[in-house]
Amino acid sequence: MPDIDWSLLMPQLVIVATLFIVLVFDMFDSISKKMHAWMTIVGSGIALWSSINLLNAGTDTIQFNDMFRIDSYSLFFNIIFLVSTILVALFSISYLGKDDKKQGPYYLLILLATLGMMLMAAGNELIIVFLGLELMSLSLYVLAGYFRESPASSEAGMKYLLLGAFASAFFLYGIALIYGATGTTSIPGIAEKLTTESQSPLLLAGIFLLIVGFGFKVAVVPFHQWAPDVYEGAPTTIAAFISAGPKAAGFAAFIRIFTEALPNLHTEWSGVIILIAMLTMTVGNVIAIAQTNIKRMLAYSSIAHAGYVLIGLAAANSDGKSSAMIYLFVYCVMNIGAFGAVILARTADGESLVISDYAGLGFRKPLLGGFLTLMLLSLAGFPPTAGFVGKFYIFKSAIGAELYLLVIVGAINTAISAFYYLRVVVTMYMREPEEELEFNPYPSTLVIGLVLAAIGILLIGILPSLLFNTAQNAVL
Amino acid sequence: MLLSIVIFLPLLGVIAIALFRSLGANTVKWIALGVGLLTFIISIRLYTEFEQDVAGFQIENSELYQKQDWVEGLGISYHIGIDGISLWLVLLTTFLTPICILAAWNSVEKGLSGFMMSLLALETGMLGVFCALDLFLFFVFWEAMLIPMYFLIGIWGGERRIYATIKFVLYTMAGSALMLVGILALYFQNDDNGFDLTTLLVKTSFDHSMLLFLAFFIAFAIKVPLFPFHTWLPDAHVEAPTVGSVILAGVLLKMGTYGIVRFCLPLFPEAAANATPWIVPLAIIGIIYGALVAMVQPDLKKLVAYSSVSHLGFVVLGLFSQNEAGIQGSVIQMINHGLSTGALFLLVGMIYERRHSRMIVDFGGLAKKMPIFATIFLIVTLSSIGLPFLNGFVGEFMILLGSFVGGAFSKWYVVFATSGVILAAVYMLWMYQRVMFGTLDSTNESLPDLNPREIAVLLPILLFIVWIGVFPKTFMDPMEKSVNEVVAKVKVKDTDDTPAEGQLILDEEGKGSVIMHVKSANLQSIEEEAQTK
Repeated sequence: MPDIDWSLLMPQLVIVATLFIVLVFDMFDSISKKMHAWMTIVGSGIALWSSINLLNAGTDTIQFNDMFRIDSYSLFFNIIFLVSTILVALFSISYLGKDDKKQGPYYLLILLATLGMMLMAAGNELIIVFLGLELMSLSLYVLAGYFRESPASSEAGMKYLLLGAFASAFFLYGIALIYGATGTTSIPGIAEKLTTESQSPLLLAGIFLLIVGFGFKVAVVPFHQWAPDVYEGAPTTIAAFISAGPKAAGFAAFIRIFTEALPNLHTEWSGVIILIAMLTMTVGNVIAIAQTNIKRMLAYSSIAHAGYVLIGLAAANSDGKSSAMIYLFVYCVMNIGAFGAVILARTADGESLVISDYAGLGFRKPLLGGFLTLMLLSLAGFPPTAGFVGKFYIFKSAIGAELYLLVIVGAINTAISAFYYLRVVVTMYMREPEEELEFNPYPSTLVIGLVLAAIGILLIGILPSLLFNTAQNAVL
Repeated sequence: MLLSIVIFLPLLGVIAIALFRSLGANTVKWIALGVGLLTFIISIRLYTEFEQDVAGFQIENSELYQKQDWVEGLGISYHIGIDGISLWLVLLTTFLTPICILAAWNSVEKGLSGFMMSLLALETGMLGVFCALDLFLFFVFWEAMLIPMYFLIGIWGGERRIYATIKFVLYTMAGSALMLVGILALYFQNDDNGFDLTTLLVKTSFDHSMLLFLAFFIAFAIKVPLFPFHTWLPDAHVEAPTVGSVILAGVLLKMGTYGIVRFCLPLFPEAAANATPWIVPLAIIGIIYGALVAMVQPDLKKLVAYSSVSHLGFVVLGLFSQNEAGIQGSVIQMINHGLSTGALFLLVGMIYERRHSRMIVDFGGLAKKMPIFATIFLIVTLSSIGLPFLNGFVGEFMILLGSFVGGAFSKWYVVFATSGVILAAVYMLWMYQRVMFGTLDSTNESLPDLNPREIAVLLPILLFIVWIGVFPKTFMDPMEKSVNEVVAKVKVKDTDDTPAEGQLILDEEGKGSVIMHVKSANLQSIEEEAQTK
């Protein structure tokens, strides 16, 4: 029995325990299905609390035969995942409504996906990262197709499964090639090998395949095509979930592998990353302008945001790493918040997803209008919101690495993105509605979730040091 | 502390309105007016506290200067202060805001509380821009201020308001995107002083200073707006509600010229000197083009909007003359333009509320029916043209004098610019004649003259129009040292290779040593040459 300090695994263990409790409770019909959501929230809350505790204690150890690394980097990402999970679970309570039978597996899969993400962030081994990736992805495939009766949802699930499976294959092949070149799958091990050995074509091919695999998972151009279809078809809560946590998890592993295992090949891969970053931001933002469906618009916007995060990776200095972490945190909160506001805009016929449905909403539904405006302004990067702080820090790290052109492209993209984010605000406040839509009353759990997200966005925007010190310590 | 109170008091007003909006429209109006007036009254203390003999920022006075860490890890601080240039722009802002609130008293039909909240939030943003001494803080205010303006034009504007507001926001954002890159690049050249502007101002040179200059200048040129970046302005002005136009012309455009005098000139004097031959012609094209286009406008508001392009061309011309008279004239002209164009927009708004038309052809002979209106309109028109003893004359005269006598460019430019003054007289007086004299249309028979509220809105502006015109010393004296400071910086670096004797006397310790350094370098190279020979 190896020497394992179980207390360090608290966050993961709590999630596993919650998972089993939800599974067991689901067998009893007499228990209200709403309990599942609350159990998920409480379990994630405890895991969040223990992650924060471990982070404050300055934990940095490697467990399980050097396969599992618990450091401030992975703990910071745990916080991102768990905050996303809690927000999505809060939104799901009213979204799933009275459809009782469906709720058990739904929360189960969300918890499984969360566990997978935590594995990805903590993986000190390419194999662990792959395991986490698959655990997360498989849960998400099912979740994307969760509304079986809806053709769009089934299509989304199917598409996601097919393309995701491809991506996983690329990723695994990349791992195999890197193993072939270096003889190890351990992240520090690879880095060590690369300091002494010269690079081989095999290794470069492996790195390229890793980029393709991660590129699919975090949806960057040209591997982004699945995202809009999946976001549009999937249940809105799941679209929010997929756009946030899994993307952060993909980046957690992406950044860890490239900056810790392959720093010596920085000159080789940074060019590709810079190119992908520019393409991703530009394509994402430009296509988002043409969207009329708000979920598709948010999908393209989330593609563009992946491009901003890549700027931090391309910079590859300590600022770049911590700015990417901060950006992902901020992005998750504001993007889930934006989807939450979309969920709030429900009419008797279902969701209002066409942007023109939002005409006049700002005055008739001031709370909803306010939430959506705040989230969109933050996504567009206006101060004093968290989105501005995140973007500012990302750009700063890249200027520090002298990537001027990349930052200029990023900054111009910010201006482009303002156009479509503000267009929704224009519709809400400045256009008259063509027909009076009857909106459902606000569900209280949804409003609580949105209030939390809004407070987070403003607090980080006004007092960024709350987050900065943690993230900056995490990469030292 | 005083300065922080002035900046954030309007924001407290926003919160107060949000809390008490349910008490009805009157409460909201009085809260807004109360907060606006209180901010103005407190801001007067900025003037009384201001020490005229101090050059640069009033660092000694804790009421007028504040520095606190904000985000330590990033070198960002909450750092504010004013000098003789920003003092007047701050006062202009606090002065115009309550006037705007009073002017909008009855004209807002829907969402009154939102309107007043936007107006007050805008005031905080504008004051922050003028006071920020930290580049990050500056950028935060610069961008944050867009949001309330966007709502003001977009919700309460005219028919094509959505087009106008999006154009306005996108133009500004496109410019500020590059400025953000420039700010970040400066950060890495600030020797671990973070985003502190005061330490940047002491530095003598930057890498890539031409590119940095352009990154800032384009953002400011769009805001001014300098020809050919002016196309957003007529749209925004015409579609904005009256009060939006007043704030836009009165204060927002000044943020561009303020940025030039605060950042572009003192930070990158060499680049500014190199760019002068390109910028001055643009300013002069703006002066003449703006005036010519204003002349043919059938719409009163559009006419005033294009006259802004022309007037702001003068301000840019003065700034790039790079001498005391020119820059002082420009700063005073910023205030003048804020007052007289603000008043013109208010007057146009008042007539529009009565007649629901802004077309010049719809009017004529109004002087008979509305004598008070006609009198005030005349004074403001003359001030805008630059009649002696009114404010416009002082500014334009100083700008033209500065550019002609000491300008860093050909005197012929100034001759062309002067024609703008004549053109201004043509389009303004012709407009006045068509609106006020001639035969009275029967539909205009029943137009009532100004009511006491409207007179109360305009009288304070008239007071300052005359005050600046008759006794500009009140306004010149506090800014003199600060302007000299800017000019000294410009001149030192302007003549880097061959420093003139006289400049040594002009400068204090820091800059003196710069010249010495340059000199010794020159000497060295001469010595080396001699040795090789």
